[in-house]
Parts: sequence; C-alpha cells; structure tokens
Amino acid sequence: MKLSKLLLIALSVSLFVSCSNDDDNDSKGQYENGFFILNEGSAGQGSVSFSSDDFSAFTKDAYTAANGTDLLGKYAQNIFFDGDKAYIIAGGSNVINVVNRYTFKLIAKIDSGLANPRYGVVKDGKAYVTNANTYYSANNPNGNTDDYIAVINLATNTYESKINLNATANRIVEENGKLYITEPYNSDKLLVVNIAAKALETPVTIGSSADTIEEENGTLYILRGPYGDRSEIVKVKLSDKSVSRITFPESLDGAGFLDIYQNKIYYTAGNSVYSIAASATEASTTPILTANLGYLYGFAVNNNHIYLADSGDFKADSKAYIYSLTGSLQKELTVGVGPNGFYFND
Amino acid sequence: MTLRIRFAFLLVMLCQFIWAQSDSIKLKEVLVSDANLKKYSNSQSVLKLSDSIISKNEALLTDLLNFNSTIYFKEYGRGMLSTVSFRGTTSSQTAVIWNGININSQMNGSTDFNTISGSDYNSVSIKAGGGSVIYGSGAIGGTVHLNNDLAFYNRFENTLKFDYGSFNTIGLNYKTNISNEKWSAQIGFSKNSSTNDYKYLNRYTWRGEQRWNQNGQYDIITMSANAGYKIDSKNTLKLYSQFSNTDRNTSLVVETETKSKYINGFNRNLMEYDGDFGKFKTNFKTAYIFENYQYFADNSTNFYSYGKTESLITKLDLGYTLFKSTQVNGILDYNRTKGYGTSFGNNVREISSAGILVKQDFSTEWKNELGIRKEFTDNYKSPVLFSLGSSYQFSKLYNFKLNLSRNYRIPTYNDLYWEEGGNPDLKPESSYQAEIGNVFTFKNISLTQNFYYMKIKDLLQWVPGKNGIWSPINKDNVNSYGAETLLNWKKQFGKNNVSANASYAYTISEDQETKKQLFFVPFNKVTASAAYSRNRISAYYQFLYNGFVYTRADNNPDEIINDYTVSNVGIDYDFKFLDSFKLGFQVLNLFNEDYESLEDRPMPGRNFNMYLTLKF
Repeated sequence: MKLSKLLLIALSVSLFVSCSNDDDNDSKGQYENGFFILNEGSAGQGSVSFSSDDFSAFTKDAYTAANGTDLLGKYAQNIFFDGDKAYIIAGGSNVINVVNRYTFKLIAKIDSGLANPRYGVVKDGKAYVTNANTYYSANNPNGNTDDYIAVINLATNTYESKINLNATANRIVEENGKLYITEPYNSDKLLVVNIAAKALETPVTIGSSADTIEEENGTLYILRGPYGDRSEIVKVKLSDKSVSRITFPESLDGAGFLDIYQNKIYYTAGNSVYSIAASATEASTTPILTANLGYLYGFAVNNNHIYLADSGDFKADSKAYIYSLTGSLQKELTVGVGPNGFYFND
Repeated sequence: MTLRIRFAFLLVMLCQFIWAQSDSIKLKEVLVSDANLKKYSNSQSVLKLSDSIISKNEALLTDLLNFNSTIYFKEYGRGMLSTVSFRGTTSSQTAVIWNGININSQMNGSTDFNTISGSDYNSVSIKAGGGSVIYGSGAIGGTVHLNNDLAFYNRFENTLKFDYGSFNTIGLNYKTNISNEKWSAQIGFSKNSSTNDYKYLNRYTWRGEQRWNQNGQYDIITMSANAGYKIDSKNTLKLYSQFSNTDRNTSLVVETETKSKYINGFNRNLMEYDGDFGKFKTNFKTAYIFENYQYFADNSTNFYSYGKTESLITKLDLGYTLFKSTQVNGILDYNRTKGYGTSFGNNVREISSAGILVKQDFSTEWKNELGIRKEFTDNYKSPVLFSLGSSYQFSKLYNFKLNLSRNYRIPTYNDLYWEEGGNPDLKPESSYQAEIGNVFTFKNISLTQNFYYMKIKDLLQWVPGKNGIWSPINKDNVNSYGAETLLNWKKQFGKNNVSANASYAYTISEDQETKKQLFFVPFNKVTASAAYSRNRISAYYQFLYNGFVYTRADNNPDEIINDYTVSNVGIDYDFKFLDSFKLGFQVLNLFNEDYESLEDRPMPGRNFNMYLTLKF
C-alpha cells in the first residue's frame, strides 16, 4: 500500500517535472538544430554522433546515450527522416532503427523483409529501401540480379512488399512518384521505378561507377568516377530522360562525391572539393579546399558549410571536418569508427 | 600395481611447468614425437599439460589453455572462432605445432583454438618465447605443441570419456593404445557438439524478450591414428595421421543478422623415420597437410566461398655428437604449398631452408644452445633467424636461463593473393627477443619468473586504400615486454593429496608510433587452480582473471572489454569398476559472472557438465 502510494507520488512528480521542462524552453529534444554524423562501425556496432550547428553541443554516440545497451547494428549505412522520426539503416544487421529524431529514443525496429539494406527514401507514409540482398560469386550467379526495394509502412513500421529490380541497387532518390537508383560496382544504368505501378520503367544508361545522385529543378545530377577512365557528372532531365554530361579532365580521375547547395554543384576528387554553377558545362579544376585526411568517406554541403568525413583505419575513432564554403576549416570533430555520412536535423 | 598407481597419481597431481624437472617419470620407453622440443628448450620455459589435466577441462583447447596458461584468448562467443595473444603478440604470432610440424593456417596465418580438442593428444605443451629457428613462421610470442607420443611396452588400454552438459553439450572421446616392444599403435576418435543456445545474462531485446545465443551450434569431429614400428634397435618408423571437420554456425550479435556458417577441416599425414647410430642420429619427416574451409554467408542457401591449401613438408634432421658434451643438428627442409579458392585464385609457394642447431652441456649445471636458420624463397625476403640460449643451475634451489632470438612470421595466402587487395610485395614480420628466466625450486614448490623484451617490426595490417579497397601493408612496429610468474605446489598429508598452481602475466605491447597498447592485449591475466584428492575422490577448483582490454587502436577508454573473473569447480569419484570408472560433475562459471571476451558477444552464465571416464 505504502509502496504504491510512493510510486504514485514519484510518478506525478516526474510528470510534473517533465511538463514544466517543456514549458520552460519548448525544446523538442537535445538533438534539434544540428547535424548527425553516421559512423559505419567495423568490428563493433555502428553509431551516430551529433553536433549542434554552432558546434557548442556534441554527443559522440547519441544512440547509446538515449538507448543504453540496445545495439544499433552492424555497418550503419544511411539515415532518412519522416516527420519527427529518423530511420537508421544498419545494413550488416538487416535492421532499421526507428527513433525520435530530436531525442533519439528508440520507437521501434523494422526487422523483417530486409537483406543488406542500403539507402531509403519516404513518400506518402511509406519508405522505399534498396536491399543489396546476396552478392555475386561463381556459385551464386543471381547475386547481381536479386536486389530489391523493400516497401515499408511507416504507420506500423512493418515491411509490406518488395519491388524486384533485376539489377544491383544502392543510392536512391524520389521525385514525382518515381524512384531513381544508382549502383557503382555492377551497374551502368540508372534504374527508374514507378511507385504507383510498383514496376520498373526503362532504365537510363549512364555509365559505370555511378554513385551519388542529387535532384535539382527537374534534373538528376549523378557523379561517376570509373577507375582508369574520366570522371563525369551525368545530368538526366526527368521530363524526357535525356542525358548530358560534364566530362572531367584526367586530373580529376576517381571523383568521389557530389552535392548541390544554393544552385551550385560541389564535388570531390581525392581529398579536394570543387564547385561549379549548376548550369556549368565544364568542370572546375581549382579546389576550394584540399583536406588532410586518409580516405574521404562522407561528404555534404549544407548550412553554409562543407562537411567531410575521414574513413580512418576502422580500428579507432575517426574525424569529421567542417569547412566554410570558401574552404577555411571551421571545426574538427572526433566521431565514431568509419564515418560515412552527414544528416541535417533542423 | 603400486607402481602403476604411483604413476597415475603423479600424472594426476603434477602440473609440470618445466620439462627439465619431468625426469622423475622414466618407467617405460616413450618415443616423443618432437624430440627437439625437449632437446632445445633448456633456456626457455615450457609448461606441459598432461592428459589428466586435459581431462579436467572443457573439451576444446581454448578452455584448457585459458585456465592453465598465461595465453590470452578472445572468443567470438562460446565455441566460436577463438584466437590468441601470447606475450602481447597477434593471433598469427603464436605457432601451433603438431608432432613437430607447424600447422598454422596457410590462409590466415593463425589457428582457431576452438577447432581442436585437447583429448586427441597425449600432452599439450606451451613454450613461451621465440622458436622460429626450429618451428618456423609464427613462433614469435610462443608455440603450442600438440603431441602424440608412442610408447613401446606391452599393453592394451582403452579410454572412453563421455561428457554431457548444459546447452546440449555432448562430448565423446575414445582412445586405444595397443603396443608391445616392437609395435605401438594409437587410435582415437572425438566428437564434441553443442546447440550452444545459452541465455545472455541480463540482456533483453527492445521488445523485452530474453536474449540468447542464436546460431551458435557447433560440431567437431576428429579421428586420429598413429603407429610406430621399431625395425631394429637402430631404426624406427612412425606414422601419424589425423582428420578433422568442424561444422559451425556463427553466433549472431544482433538477432536480425543473416545466419552464416563456417565449415573447416584438415587432414594431416606425417611419416617419420628415426635412425640412431650412436654418435650419428638421423630423423626424416615427410608430411602432407590439407586444410580447407567453406563459408556460407547465408546458411539457408547453398552458396559458399571456399579456400583450400595442400602442403608438402619434408624435413631432414641430421644429428651428430661431436664430444660427449656437444651435439650438432643440421636441418634441411622443403615446403611446397598449393593454395586455391574463391578469394585468391591458384598459387604455389615454395620455401626451402637450412639450419644448424648446437647444444653444448659444459656440465650438468651449465647448458648452452645455439641455432641459426635461413630460408630461401621467391616470395619474400627472409631474415636470418637465430636463437641463443643458456641455462645455469646455480644450486638445487635456483636455475637461471637466458635466451636471445630472432623470429618471423611470413605473409599468408590472404595477405599475398586476396582478390582484390592482396599485396605480393610484403615483407615478413620479424622480431628480436630477449628473455631471462629464473626458476626456484624449494621442496614441493616451484616458482618460475620470466622477463622478456621483444621488438617486432613490419607488422602486417590491412588498411583501406585507393578506391576503398583494403590492402595489407607492413606498417606497425611494436615493442612488447612483460613478466610471467608461474607457481606450482604439491603436498601429501597421509592419504590426502593437495596441489595448487598459479600464473600471472603482466604484458605491455606498445605501438611505437602511437605509444598505445595494442588492442585486445590485456595488461593483466591471472590463472589459479587447486586440487585435492583422497582415495577415490578428487575435487578441484579453477580460477581465471582477465584484465580489461582496449578494443580500439586509439585506446579510447570508453571502448573496452571489462575485466572478468571466472571460476569452475569439479568433483569426481572413481568406482573402481574395470581399471577405472570415474563419474564427475563440474560447475562452470560458478559465480554466474556476466562477461564478454569480445564486444557484444556475451559468454554463458553458470552451467554444468557431467562426465564418465572408463578405462579398460
């Protein structure tokens, strides 16, 4: 009797405290107004680091801070958002962790229907997630044709159905009810999926080693950096699927990442970042900056900053570097193992 | 009869730390399979675990060595892949020697200690320190010797051991010895399996369900047949043959992971000729070793990757006694390995070497050893290896040992030929090592203290390179140093026999560039055991303390495996039916310690084992 009374008091006190907290500063959670760095992990689990936009607040492992001993999963690959939720894909563990994007408290795990999930996008309450499924080998000849899109109902956080792609699939964007997919290792095509029909449309041949993909004003910008050949930005006009290209000079061989910000295309080759106008027809060979890092593993341009992640050696924590748009270093952050992407939480 | 009991008793009670002190048992002629282990180890420390100690431990070699030696183990969950660090070195810098032949994998350079069952051997010896001059690649931190010794006297003995324990852990081991003064044969069979579905202490999924070890099943089968024939008083022929298959799933870290499976096996055949012509001795060995693995990334499918190697090893060892006090051995060997598989194509590697060993006993107190060896191969530039040692018995109480050596570890098939990333231009890892041993013997107590210092150069590391392709390079230089203390005591009070053993290792293993401790090398490890027996009853207690280890190269204090303490107890009773009919019961992890040996891979809590040992 006494105990339950005590519990009641404790409960109401905590309720009161949390209410008053809300009244005080109307914050949605400690991870508002900042950016996440996704760390792939290696021998251990993947992790997510957070920094406020002004770098004054930093949490190295936001997921563990919020969820204690729960395991995020291996090979964290991508984060996508919907409303106030963030979805963290751990490819090596076939799981998507659904968390509140401001508190990082775990809400649910999507843990069926996934096989090496890679990247996801959201359209009308459903997530579309590329799955690499099995990998090709001499005794697994279907490894390059079994990739699929998992369709996930975000109201129930459950896997609903799949769309077979008959090809390899990795990065994905959604525009006007269509999904556009690239894959750098075994594909020379841009896959096009009609969401309503749940069917593949005729793919667009863009060339091998196509990886990062961005949409801007009705055009897809795709960066490809084939080994031993010239890198290119491939522009695909969505209205008629027509293709135009900006072929890079040889000095920019092995281009890595591309992002579009304020009508400018930013791209990387080696550890250097370059930019050109979105309308440009020729590449710039004058870097904005050349970072001193091992291997560039993650890249983004946003909030007037350029964000670079160093892969590190996967045996120790690595670093993220944040530069101004003109290329002066603003901040160096020690993040987790194998940082591979930046995600903005505004 | 009394002699036999005494013999058995000695075996039960003794945990021989030092070979040099094992002379007390010289009742029957036993031909050791690896003569050089005894002959050229005076200046180093060898811990011999006899079959009575082996039988008190869990079946797989990881447990035996973890609880009885200073070697550190990391296990990917109970029964899963298990690798070692000896004196702060890496898993491929401990060589495993089967009857004198180095059996570390040609593919990855190391041995998985959970694929070997200790009961398949007559003895398991642990030699600390460098041994590349005799044992070749990988003998940097130390060597683990699996020996089948053949005895030549009239006997027909059978041993059958049956184990049943928690998580459906079943062990079956049968061994028979048939011999007379001319012939000796040994046939053995062992099978160890477990569904291994233990609960993780205090761990629950986000749905609130108890977490448990999923996909951790294992099944290990080994068969061996060894035979010896004394052609006459001068010539002896020996044959060793062993076959093993390990079929193992790989335990999941997260419940949603794809379930995978790893099957690996080996087949080893060794023919040995011994000629003893007084001053002149000859030993010729030919071995054919076959190893293979199959990895199923998804064990619901039939798709797998594989690798196989076939090695032919021939070794000629000519011994000559120059003077009564001085013996010289000249050793020539040739090694041809063919490896093929899904990840490294088809490659042949040939290595020849020549070496000389000299042993000089100035007196019974002062013994010296010298060894030098050089390898010849197209694959890599091999350093000149040497070993230099001395042992001086100052008094009955105190024995001083000194050893200097240069050792190496060659690049593996994976390092050289992996597609993509393999690097054909690698150097071997090499080390200089110095050690001092102090052995104190007082009545029933023996205390060994070793101090060592090792400089290891050109450590092979896989690092991400251009286009994100990982590739091995000779990168790190490491200094390892530390101290080992081994204590051994035994006493008889009337009908009561008591013994106690303890070991402590303090290890620093520091990367020379970063000045950080290597990850997965503990600073501290302690083992201890106590045994008591009276008449037909014996009881024993084992203790293990593993200090914390870093899991990251940067020694991030937040990323460690906590230290842990594990205790086991056991009791058995001999019903004296047949020659021996022993029923035993063990409680493992007595205090239900919640521990991991690798991050996110919990080990089982308190669990039980029963065993029945029959001798007839």
